[in-house]
Amino acid sequence: MKQAVSSWVARRAGAVGNELLIGLTLAIVVLPQAVAFSTTLAGLPSYFGLYGAIWGMLFTALLNPSRVFHGGPNSTQSAVIGVTLLPVAPQFGPDYIGYALTLFLLAGLIQLLFLTIRPLGRFLDFVSEPVANGMICGIGLYMIFKSFPPFAGLPVNTQVEWRLWIAWQSFLAVLEIGNMHAIHIGLITLLVTVITRQFDTLRNWAILLGIVAGTLYSEYLNANVGVGETLVEQTANISPAGFVYPSLPLFTQEAMPDIISIIPGAVTLALLGLIQTVAAMRLMNRKSGQFVDARHGIFADAVSNCVLPFISALPTCASFNRMSLMQTMNTGSRLAAISSALFLLALVSFFGEYIAIVPVPAMAAIIMVVGANMIDWSDIKAHFQHRPEAIVFSASFLSVHVFGLFGAVICGSLLALAYAQWEKAHPNITLEGNVLRIRGNIYYGSLPVIESLYHRANIDERFDELIVDFSAVHHIDPEGIRWLAEVGRNGRVRFAERRGGQDRRGDSAGRSGERKERRRRQAL
Amino acid sequence: MKPFALGWGKAVRLALLVGALLALYVLAVARHDERARIREQPVTLTPGCEEKLARYGLAAGSGYASPYTLARSGQARVKRGYSAEDVRAIQRGCNIIDDLQGQLAADPSRERWNSTRFVRGTHTSCDHCHQGIGDKQTAAGVAQTGSLSLAASWVMADMYDQFTGILLPYELRQMQCYINSSNGYKPNVADDLIRDVTAYSRFLAAALDLRFGNHYAEQGIDEVTAASTLKRGDDYVRGAALYKEKCARCHGPQGLGTVVDGKALYPAVAGPNAFNQQSRNNFSFVSTILPGFLCRNMPLGEEGTLTNQDCRDIGFYVSNMPRPAGDKDGPLAALWHQLMMRVMPTLIHTIETWQRPEVTQESGT
Repeated sequence: MKQAVSSWVARRAGAVGNELLIGLTLAIVVLPQAVAFSTTLAGLPSYFGLYGAIWGMLFTALLNPSRVFHGGPNSTQSAVIGVTLLPVAPQFGPDYIGYALTLFLLAGLIQLLFLTIRPLGRFLDFVSEPVANGMICGIGLYMIFKSFPPFAGLPVNTQVEWRLWIAWQSFLAVLEIGNMHAIHIGLITLLVTVITRQFDTLRNWAILLGIVAGTLYSEYLNANVGVGETLVEQTANISPAGFVYPSLPLFTQEAMPDIISIIPGAVTLALLGLIQTVAAMRLMNRKSGQFVDARHGIFADAVSNCVLPFISALPTCASFNRMSLMQTMNTGSRLAAISSALFLLALVSFFGEYIAIVPVPAMAAIIMVVGANMIDWSDIKAHFQHRPEAIVFSASFLSVHVFGLFGAVICGSLLALAYAQWEKAHPNITLEGNVLRIRGNIYYGSLPVIESLYHRANIDERFDELIVDFSAVHHIDPEGIRWLAEVGRNGRVRFAERRGGQDRRGDSAGRSGERKERRRRQAL
Repeated sequence: MKPFALGWGKAVRLALLVGALLALYVLAVARHDERARIREQPVTLTPGCEEKLARYGLAAGSGYASPYTLARSGQARVKRGYSAEDVRAIQRGCNIIDDLQGQLAADPSRERWNSTRFVRGTHTSCDHCHQGIGDKQTAAGVAQTGSLSLAASWVMADMYDQFTGILLPYELRQMQCYINSSNGYKPNVADDLIRDVTAYSRFLAAALDLRFGNHYAEQGIDEVTAASTLKRGDDYVRGAALYKEKCARCHGPQGLGTVVDGKALYPAVAGPNAFNQQSRNNFSFVSTILPGFLCRNMPLGEEGTLTNQDCRDIGFYVSNMPRPAGDKDGPLAALWHQLMMRVMPTLIHTIETWQRPEVTQESGT
C-alpha cells in the first residue's frame, strides 16, 4: 500500500515540475512515432496511432504501478499488424480497419489468457537481460538507420527487408539526392539537442529545444524561400481527430474464415507485446530500484488491449526507447506517464496548428537521438564480461538487423532457453522467519521468483534483519551477481554461507551479532 | 581534478560527434554538386535512343508537335514544349530504358546515374521486357498489343495494384520493376533515376498522342491464363524439351544467358543474373505474365509461333531453374538459393556430360 502511494507521489518537493517536463517531452517524442507507426507500418489512419498513444499510455499508466513504465504504440507490433492483414484486405479500407480491430481484440484476449494461466505468464521470464539489451541496442541502431530518409526530406521506402543494406543505401541517398534544406533543418535540430544535453540544467529540455530550433529555422526558410521551394514536409494537422472515436471489431459470419486466418498473427502480436513489456519492466526494476512484479504489466497490457479496439486505437505495450528516456530524465512518479498522455491529448486537441508546423526532418533527428540513447555502453560492457552472455547479447543484437524484430525475439529466446537448459536451473527458495534460503541457481530465470520473495521478506516489519542463505546455491550467473551486489547494499540484509562456517559480512563480529548468529544456526 | 578530466572527455566526445556530422555534411554538399554537374552535362545517346528521339522530334523549344502524329493523322497538335533541362532528363531516361547497365556508355556510373546499384547481376535492362525502348511497334508502325508500353502506362497514371489493392502512382509502379530484379533496395521514389524515366515515358505519351486516363491495348501484357490453354496442366517435361529446342540457343542450356565481350547479348533467365524468385516474371509467383511475354515476344524473329500451352510449359520450366531469392524471402532462403545457383549448374553439367563427351557443347553455360 505504502509502495502504491509512493509510486504516485514525487520523491522530493519541487519535482512535480520535472515530472510534467518529462511528460511533455514524452508526448512530443511519441507524436511522430504514433503517426508514423500507424500510417507506414500498420496501414491504418494516423488517428489509430494517436488514440493508441493517448489512451494506451493513460490506461497502462493507471493500471501499472511501475514508476518507469510507458505504454503506447510500438513499431514491432505495428509492423506485425501490417504484415498480418496485408493478404486479408486493402490497406486503409473499411474492411481492413474492421479486421485490424478484430486482430487487436484477439491479441488482447490472448494476453488475458497469459494473465489467467500463470505458467504461461511465467514463461515470459525466459527473455533474459542480454536478450532484451541486445534487442534494445539493435532497435536503437535500427531507429537511427530508419530515420535517414525523413532526415533528408526523402520519402521512406516501405519495403523493409535486408535492413543493413537498406540502411547503407539510404545513407547514400541522403548524401546524393537528399533535400539540402531538410538536411539543414535536421542538422540544426540534432546539433542543438546534442549540445544542450551536455549541460546538466538543460539536459531534460534538450529535445524540446532541438525541436524548437528546427521549427524556427524551418519557419524562417518558409518566410524567405517559400514552401514551394524548400519542399520540406511538415507534420499534418491532427486536431480534427477529437477525443475519442468509438469503433466495433468485425465479427460477421462472412468474415470468419479471414478472422481464423489472422489468429496466428494475433498470437504473435500478443506475445510480442508481452515479451517487450516483461523484459522492459525487469530492466527498469533493476535500474530504478523499484520492484514491480511483471504480472502487473501483463495485467495492465491485457486489460488495455481489450478496451482499446473499441476506441479505434493501436494496441499498447512497453516502449523501450521512451522508458529509457524516462529513466535518463530521472522520473520519480507515475505522474510523468499520466501527464504525457494528457499533454498529448492537449497537444492534439488544442495545439494541432502549432504541431503542424514542426518539420519532419526535425522529428527524424529527434528519433535519431532517442535511438542513440538506447545504446548504453555500460550495459554492453557488463554483458561482455561473460562469454555465454556476450554470445546471447550479440546474437540478439545482430538478429534485429538480419531477421527483423520478430526474428530477434525468436532467436534471442531460443538462445536464452538453450542457455537456461545449459545452466540446469531449479530455483527452490523458502522463507522461514527472516531467513531466505536459496537452493539451486541464482540466474536470470530464477531471479524473478527470488526477487519477489526477497521483496516480500524485505518489507516484513517483524524482523529488523534479513538473512539471505545461499549455502545450497551451486551457480550464480552475472545477472545474479549484480542482483546480489544490489541486495548487499541494503543495510538490513546479511548473507550466510554455511559451508564456509562463518558469516560473509566482516563487520558483524559484535556480541549481538554472535547471538543472532547462534539463533540463526538454531533456526537452520 | 576528476570532474575537470570528465569534462575534457565529454568535450572531446562532443567535438568528435559534431566534427563527424560536419564532415558528413561537407561530403553531402560535394556529392550534391557532382550530381548537379551530371545533370547539366550534355547526354550521349545510345544508337537506339538517338534513332527513336530523332523520329519523335525531341528538341528544346516553346512548343512541341509530334512528327509521328502528323504523319499518321495529318494533324499537328502543338503541345507545351521542353526546356533544355527537360530534354536532357528525357534523353537520360531513354538511355536508362535502353541500356540500364551502361554497356554502351563510356562512364556507366555517371551516365546511368548509379542505376546498376538497384538491380541484381550484370544483365538486367528495362528494355528486356519493355521492348522497343518501352515503345514496341509492329512493322507498320503501330504499337503492339500487350507490349508493356511505357507511354500507355504513364497515361494510366495512378492505378490500383491488382494484388494488394494499394493505389500506386507511376513512380511506385516503376518501383515494382526494381522489386522484380532488385538486390534488396529500390531507388528512393525521389531519385533522379525514377524522375528521368518518368520524363521519358511522359514524352513518349506526348509523341504518340496518347490521352490521359485512357486505357490502350499496348499497356500491360496479354496474360496467358490456364483457362486459355488446353487445360491439361503445366507440363515441366514438355517445357524442358521446348526450352532446349527454342530458347537454349540464345539463353544457354541452363538459362545463364550469352555474354560476348562483357556485354549481355541475351540475358540470363536463370542463375545470379536473372530476375528473382518474387518477380512477377517468375511463373511460380504469378503464373500468367511470363507466358504472356513469351507468346508475344519470343523466340526473337519468330514471334507468335508459340501456342499458349507452349508458353505456359516453358514458363513453368524456366521458373524452376535456380535464381536469386526475392527480397522478402529472408536471409536463410537467400543463402539457400545462392548455394543452389552455385551448385546446380555444375552438377547438371557433370551429370549430363557423364561419359558422353559429345554433349559438352549443349550443356553447361
